Amino acid sequence: MDAVAAREVALPRSWWTARRRGYLLALAFILPAVVNFVIFRYLPIFAAIRSSLWQYSLLGGYGEFIGLQAYLRMLEDPIFWKSLWVTTAYVLMKVPAQIVLSMGLALLLQRESRFTAVVRSAIFAPVVTSIVVISVIWALMYHVQLGLLNSIITSVGLPRIAFLSNPRLALVAIVIMMVWKEIGFSMIILMAGLKGIPDMYFEAARIDGASGWQQFWRITLPLLRRVLMFVVVTQTIFSFQVFVPVYTMTRGGPLDATKVIVYYIYQNGFLFQDMGYAAAISTVTLIVLLVVSAVQMWLLRSEVEY
Amino acid sequence: MAQARPKVILKFLTITDDAQINAWKEILAEFQKIDGGKWSYVDIAFESVPFQDLFPKIESAVAAGAEMDLVQSDGPDMKHYAFYRSLLPLGKYFTEQEKKQWLPQSVEEGSYRGELYGPPMMQSCSLMMYNREMTDAAGIKPPDTLGKSWTMAEALKAWQKTTIRPSGSSVPTVWGLRWGQGTWVGDYEHGLFRRSNGRKGSPTYEGVGPDGITFVGYLDTPEAIQAMQFYQDLHRRYRVTPIEPIPQIFETKKAAFMVTPDNRIGELNRLYGEGKFPWGVTGIPYFKTQICHTGSWHYGISPNTKHFDEALAFVKFASSDAGARIWYKHVRQLPANISLLNTLPEYRPGGKQYMWVEAMNKIGVPRIQTPAYTEYQQVFAEMTLNIIAGANVAEQMKAAARRAQQLAAKYKGWK
Repeated sequence: MDAVAAREVALPRSWWTARRRGYLLALAFILPAVVNFVIFRYLPIFAAIRSSLWQYSLLGGYGEFIGLQAYLRMLEDPIFWKSLWVTTAYVLMKVPAQIVLSMGLALLLQRESRFTAVVRSAIFAPVVTSIVVISVIWALMYHVQLGLLNSIITSVGLPRIAFLSNPRLALVAIVIMMVWKEIGFSMIILMAGLKGIPDMYFEAARIDGASGWQQFWRITLPLLRRVLMFVVVTQTIFSFQVFVPVYTMTRGGPLDATKVIVYYIYQNGFLFQDMGYAAAISTVTLIVLLVVSAVQMWLLRSEVEY
Repeated sequence: MAQARPKVILKFLTITDDAQINAWKEILAEFQKIDGGKWSYVDIAFESVPFQDLFPKIESAVAAGAEMDLVQSDGPDMKHYAFYRSLLPLGKYFTEQEKKQWLPQSVEEGSYRGELYGPPMMQSCSLMMYNREMTDAAGIKPPDTLGKSWTMAEALKAWQKTTIRPSGSSVPTVWGLRWGQGTWVGDYEHGLFRRSNGRKGSPTYEGVGPDGITFVGYLDTPEAIQAMQFYQDLHRRYRVTPIEPIPQIFETKKAAFMVTPDNRIGELNRLYGEGKFPWGVTGIPYFKTQICHTGSWHYGISPNTKHFDEALAFVKFASSDAGARIWYKHVRQLPANISLLNTLPEYRPGGKQYMWVEAMNKIGVPRIQTPAYTEYQQVFAEMTLNIIAGANVAEQMKAAARRAQQLAAKYKGWK
């Protein structure tokens, strides 16, 4: 050992190094979020998994241990499969429609002017309006006899449309309402993404003679992948969790046409006193969502840095 | 002079109903004056939810240990809540004399295994009210005695005659019928179809097995299916009642007939002024056996209450003759308090509402006696909505019977 190294070893080393201080400071900052997640997210997930293994109801508490019976029952439950299909159909209709429309609006309204500011605010207003209020108003507008929409339809000589009592139309009616309500959210996110793309790429493209479409497909879309991924994944998760409009407008009907998975969970847990089964469906829904989110993230991954 | 005491606010979970809330506010004002102002420090905070949301709300509140003192509970659900100890037993706080102030049917409905869990707010029976102007215009004279009530087939003719469709329109401006209060399809009125198509004592009429948990062979008998087929036809084939329910359809003169308890009269008086609406009443139509469901709302005290003495005192006053009189003034529905009932001229023979008393006594039966009533009613409502939507009636009823039985299985041995 040379003299320098020996002197270093001999120096008293403090545990409270700058690096450790940094770690502890970071931990202190993220601790509230971690505690919040553990208490309000992870513990309920484990509680739900535990509940799914027992005969359990809100009023009766825990009954006998039934193991995986609830999961086996789910496999043979046609309404569970139907509700899974209805939810999937809802997601497949709503998410693409919302993304395409909000992308169009974001491109149209990205220029700063007084007019675009007013229009943006108007489009964003439903996002911050109570979903219950919106659902009640739209249910009245959709009413086959009293509704505003049917007043307009009949005024031009067309027959009335039973938006909410026709099994083929009810889900579409809810999708239209929810796209209208949430389009402002994805539009704002996409606009922020568009603002983040440096102008020099578009200038270079224009000099090279690229058309608007070419600029969109070759520059805008690739550079928006990350933002798009965020919007697609969050909207898919939100859409899988749709409940309030179904609860308020159709109660899962007509003929289970709008019985989405979360409504079926609610129905079993709160109306049928079968919370154990509801917990089992919740657990499966969580797994489905995790898989879908992971696949979407992988498909929309981006190697582009700018 | 009452002692100055800190204010106690009782939390009261109720259904959304202005008339009822107004009645409780007046009852509370009187309650604060009794016994020399002994309870003047008590106030009530109402939390109101729509009818179909009340049951899950009660269940989640009890399970979560939420602060709640008073609960408005539907008669057939009393046994369900008592079974789960979601209400406190109150029998020992009422003397036998006090229990005798109510109709025996009400005491039975509010009891479980012989123990009173909640006194009644009122009693009920549904008959068919009609708009006299509309029936006169159609040249129809509905029977004015219970004994001459229409069968379903006879009533259908009247509903068809009073359904008015403008030429070229598929949608009537006036519908012949709204069967049941509000816009929901609960068992109270909609469950009468299936039971009415059975002879007294038959499985169809009984609606549930003697064990209170068997539905297969009771909810899905051929007669019950036939009755619900007729119910579907009223909506889709004869089109005398709307598929999408219309709020306040009778009150806004968009329906000629309505099957309802007499609380409709209170609402009509509020909307049009006392006696201004041209209503009449006739017996409830039937297939084989004329039937109306009795029973109504009860007071309940939550096990989560921290103000039991105040809650009990309020319940005792509200369900007494004095409280019931105020209640009746606002709600105008068949009282459960015998002496009050006997003093009201409208319920005496010849009185405008006498038919409701007569029907309660002659054709009234409680809703099916089961601790699974809450679950059953949800299954029933969903089945009914599907039937209205055009589903195969037999398939729906058989599936509903199996589902209700599966959900009721956990109550085996409840009696």
